[in-house]
Amino acid sequence: MTRPAVEAPPIVELSHASVAFANEGATTSAVHDVSFSVREGEIFGIVGESGCGKSTLAQMLMGLLPGTAKVSGSLRYKGEELLGQSAEEWRRLRGNRMSLISQDPRAALDAVTPIGHQVAETIRAHRKVSRREARALAIAALADTGIGRAEERYGDPPHRFSGGMCQRVVIAAALANQPDLLIADEPTTALDVTIQAQILALLRGLRERSNMTVILITHDMGVIAQMCDRVGVMYAGELVEVANVQEIFTRPGHPYTEALFGAIPSARRHGQPLQTIPGQVPDLSKPLAGCRFKDRCRYRIEQCDQPPALAEISPSQAAACWKRGSFRSGGDRRD
Amino acid sequence: MTTIFEGPPALQAAGRLDYPERRRLRSLARRVGGAPGVVGLLLLLVLVLLALGAPVVATHSPVAVNPLAVLQSPHGGALLGTDELGRDVFSRVIYGLRTSLAVAFGSVALAVLVGLPVGLLAGYIGGVVDMVLMRSVDLLLAFPALLLAIVIVAILGAGEAVTILAVGIIFVPIIARVVRSAVLVVRGHSYVKGARARGASHLRIMATHVVPNILPPAVVQASVLTGFAMLIEASLAFLGLGVQPPTPDLGSMLAEGGGYATQAPWIELAAGVFLALAILAFNLTGRGLQRGLGVRDEVIQ
Repeated sequence: MTRPAVEAPPIVELSHASVAFANEGATTSAVHDVSFSVREGEIFGIVGESGCGKSTLAQMLMGLLPGTAKVSGSLRYKGEELLGQSAEEWRRLRGNRMSLISQDPRAALDAVTPIGHQVAETIRAHRKVSRREARALAIAALADTGIGRAEERYGDPPHRFSGGMCQRVVIAAALANQPDLLIADEPTTALDVTIQAQILALLRGLRERSNMTVILITHDMGVIAQMCDRVGVMYAGELVEVANVQEIFTRPGHPYTEALFGAIPSARRHGQPLQTIPGQVPDLSKPLAGCRFKDRCRYRIEQCDQPPALAEISPSQAAACWKRGSFRSGGDRRD
Repeated sequence: MTTIFEGPPALQAAGRLDYPERRRLRSLARRVGGAPGVVGLLLLLVLVLLALGAPVVATHSPVAVNPLAVLQSPHGGALLGTDELGRDVFSRVIYGLRTSLAVAFGSVALAVLVGLPVGLLAGYIGGVVDMVLMRSVDLLLAFPALLLAIVIVAILGAGEAVTILAVGIIFVPIIARVVRSAVLVVRGHSYVKGARARGASHLRIMATHVVPNILPPAVVQASVLTGFAMLIEASLAFLGLGVQPPTPDLGSMLAEGGGYATQAPWIELAAGVFLALAILAFNLTGRGLQRGLGVRDEVIQ
């Protein structure tokens, strides 16, 4: 893994971004006050459990949220503000400068359209090329992602491909225009473990060649450990911690991160019951005061009724916790 | 003659080689929903060929009057007898089928031409556009089909073109509703979002992803409606509001033959049987396609 120089300029800067959905009077705050920036060439991981706002965040980054979503804050891409730009300006970015790979590769492909056309579609949406050129470029993109005999398979419908091959097609379409930023929203969740490894290796390989920036959304800590330079941890729509990947694994800065790692089964704790996080995720459609994790947190103090801001622990690690940095020596993790 | 190569004995014993042609036929049969669909499609094919080949198939001119051979029962010279003006019933039925089919196909084509874009835009854009388009189309549904057709004919006058227009207008809301509901389903699929994530424009998504995916219910509905169109067309002609004489037409033959039902039942029978066969063919084909293409019952009106 090539680590980008610390001084690499940020490609994505998100500040105080919130997404809310109004639904029959209740407002669900799906993403709340999230700020982070991703530097050019880095692989930035976002982890969190289901429903924590990871996918909403991905769609917000791509401008794909439905019109009913209320988006606020600021999203800068290479220094330019994206929120508030026109639909056509968004369209020109999508699939061209930034691409999205979604969870279920089969669902992401249109069953009645040959896979090659769906790759060529990306190319023709952004470049003035003839059908024949687009076809040639699409075949090259397919071959790049490891589709054998790409020329022959160009006209095949998606049902002739396995899930892993479908994901390769989706990746080929996403990368056909050499985007600067790839957002991978749980790219391997729907795939079996051996295919997962292949797809991750493919993504890593493609990134090495192009120095593309990747935002990798997952709930799999193993994927984070293998792939990422830095990680953001999300809980209940908020970003609770951002850190380098080694730091987060060795010295988690937020009680939720710590609890999350505690819940990973480990061979070293053979025979001991698996740790869980007590309580439940708060209902995001109700008004929330203070820290969103406070009811499940074993380090809770009075101050937790006030919302903690994301603040630095070290130059490379920040956490949104009043007790950040003070509890981790006291943790009972031994591995 | 000596056979040089007889093929592997096992295959000979099986007596049935799996030729690719046969496999293709079988998959086609599955596509139209098995035996009933195949029967419907074949019947339809025969009727369409008869209608297209009317000038060749017909033994007489459908409009030639012969005062010397009035109300003759079927015989060698007139396969299905003659009518009150001595016209050959077989020839009139074949030409009448041609008229009825042409009007039915024409009106459904018109309905699809208008109803598909309406349903597509309403379903895809949603919101105010959906409401305005669907409410205005619903306005048409408020009238009973035949009454609406009669009003249109009363305004514009009877004739083939007006019948096509009238029946077409009746069907627009039906096509629009079926298309819209299919679009609503397709629009929620992640491949549509996927196409958006690749930067495809809405127009491109509608053309390349939405339309091909809504075709099955649209095709099934159009096929069922074509049979229904034949019925409405015949009803209008029966009432004297459809295709006008002397153009032969199944509906007007039913009306004219009605007066001679006791002396010359073959006139009504011939027209009635062909009309019923045509409607049956469309229904079998439509239902077969519905099964073969996996379109659910409640989608089709």
